[in-house]
Amino acid sequence: MLIIIKLAVRTILRRKSRMLAIGILVFLGTMLLVFGQTFALSAAKASKQSIIDNFTGDFIIYSASSQEKPSPFSFTTPLPVIQNIDQVRQTLQDMPEVDVFVAYAQNYAIISVKRAEKAIEIPFIFYAVEPDNYNRAFKNSNISSGSFFGLDETRATPQQGILISLAQNERYKNFYDVEITVGEELTLLGLTPGGSINAVKTRLVGIFEPIYYKNVFDYINFTDMTTYSELYNFTGVTTDSLPDELNTIFSSTSEDDIFSLGTEEDFAVLDFSQLESQALSGYTMIAVKLKDHSMLEQVRTRFDQSTLNIKTAPWDEASGFFAQIADTLQAIIYAAVGLIFLIVTFIIMNTLIINIVERTAEIGTMRALGGEKGFIRNLFLTETLILNGAFAIGGIIISLLLIIIFGQSGIPLPDIVSQYLVGGGNLPLTLSLSPFTQALLVILLVSVLATLYPIRVATKILPLKAMN
Amino acid sequence: MSAIQLNAVKKSYLLGETKVEALRGITLSIEKGDFLAIAGPSGSGKSTILNLIGCIDIPTAGTVIIDGKEVETLGDKELTRYRREKLGFIFQSFNLIPVLNVYENIEFPLLLKRKLNREDRRDRVMHIIERVGLQDRLKNKPSELSGGQRQRVAIARALVTRPLIILADEPTANLDTDTGHKILTLMQEINDTEKTTFVFSTHDEHIMEHARRIINLRDGMIVN
Repeated sequence: MLIIIKLAVRTILRRKSRMLAIGILVFLGTMLLVFGQTFALSAAKASKQSIIDNFTGDFIIYSASSQEKPSPFSFTTPLPVIQNIDQVRQTLQDMPEVDVFVAYAQNYAIISVKRAEKAIEIPFIFYAVEPDNYNRAFKNSNISSGSFFGLDETRATPQQGILISLAQNERYKNFYDVEITVGEELTLLGLTPGGSINAVKTRLVGIFEPIYYKNVFDYINFTDMTTYSELYNFTGVTTDSLPDELNTIFSSTSEDDIFSLGTEEDFAVLDFSQLESQALSGYTMIAVKLKDHSMLEQVRTRFDQSTLNIKTAPWDEASGFFAQIADTLQAIIYAAVGLIFLIVTFIIMNTLIINIVERTAEIGTMRALGGEKGFIRNLFLTETLILNGAFAIGGIIISLLLIIIFGQSGIPLPDIVSQYLVGGGNLPLTLSLSPFTQALLVILLVSVLATLYPIRVATKILPLKAMN
Repeated sequence: MSAIQLNAVKKSYLLGETKVEALRGITLSIEKGDFLAIAGPSGSGKSTILNLIGCIDIPTAGTVIIDGKEVETLGDKELTRYRREKLGFIFQSFNLIPVLNVYENIEFPLLLKRKLNREDRRDRVMHIIERVGLQDRLKNKPSELSGGQRQRVAIARALVTRPLIILADEPTANLDTDTGHKILTLMQEINDTEKTTFVFSTHDEHIMEHARRIINLRDGMIVN
């Protein structure tokens, strides 16, 4: 075996320029595979983290009657309301695997603002959120002016109103010549499920700038759940604000009780000014974050098999296109690497054939001196493996250095790329074993494939050729 | 028993569409320790006989018996092993492996044989190197040697496995006259001392003078 290695190494060194050309291709291919795969895997990981942490949680619960998948990123028809929200909430609260959950809704409305005694109507796409819950679960925006429903002003209860993104306000300015300022009173117009148009007076409480996936999230704004419920008639009266007599009547379970207990006097005590409204429902989605991401399928299965009349969508289904960007990138890298190695395979094959033709007498001599076909086969295979292995290891080392150098601080990406790929910011590289093992396996495969035909040619050389 | 026995050996091959009769029924016996020259002009069949004896070609008809064994009955693996064990080759163009130095070229057949340990290989190689007078060229590559030195390496390589027969195809063809004589003298000395059978082809009459026995070939037939 030592003689084969000696012959292989010296032959490579003797044919430096030709071998160097192959080596450089192997080096680049390995680098592309290792660094590219690490890049794609890191992007997939960062994108998953960003989406789960800031938009969807590990999964989203939505109504079983929905024909569409829920998506915090794309706005089509608003999803149906989750009818038994309290039961779902209770179930989530009872699950030890759940870290935090937040119920919210997506919908459209019209903002009506007055400018020069004239009402201007502008479109408004929004998340209706419970401000404190949402803020606790997702930190996906920076406030430019105003506040996030007054939460950063140490209010006991969140402020009602709407928030719009900075970019949205810019668009209002550009397309409608309307710039809304924090504190400004405006009217929201919404089409209720019953088909009527509701109008609710509210005000702009803040302007924010999205931190992640700006290019999409720029279009999305916020309203609080109470305003939303009023706008779409998802409201009721809180029991705390009702007189005790009426609470007793309404808590009865039989019609007889209700009509026998309730008298006109009972209803006469009703003071409408003391009543407080509450959002009854209107929630279309609940984002659920788990303590351990690996529990996702187990928890989802429990929900899917429950009688709660709901469905679940994992984070990647809910985020659609964005979750697939990293996968697409990975596929592109695979295709590029595949192409490079296909070319490398043919170049190696071609070079080996030329080498064999040039070394016919040498191979014939080895055969005449008693070298078996296996010896010739091992010789060429070893040559290819040593050449490819050396340059592949070079490629791996350089890739490893790059990964270590950029690992912590992350690779700075153009903002547009970063926004789509990982939601924004630098891409921290995560060292994982699979790109390295893949590279070595690919090199091994390429070496063997590229040598198969040349070996066939070489082993067919007769010892007689030594005499010619 | 003869070292080599050829019985009514014929060899023909196609050159394009023309059938060439390289050997037309050769019967020949070569004894152990012989020092035999196969002489004849180009195309007379000298190399074909050497190829058949060297187990690197098979006859169209007739039998070739080497050390008691009919070679045409052997498969590729057995032929390879037979060449490794019984035969040594000296080529007209030396055919040294260019990436190996003098020592490694001579050691190469022993490595293929895989029967000796490192120490024994070293002893064997050094003994042969001294015999051919190349002890000061051990580390030189073939490209750094003269034609005569290269052929000495080839002789040493052929001898190192202590084969039954050494076949030399026009061993002096690429050497000047003086060097050619020196190489033949060396082969003769080895034949005398080691009793190795030498069969070599030549068309040079001065070289033939060294042979103990000469077979003259013409048009694929023995003429003497």
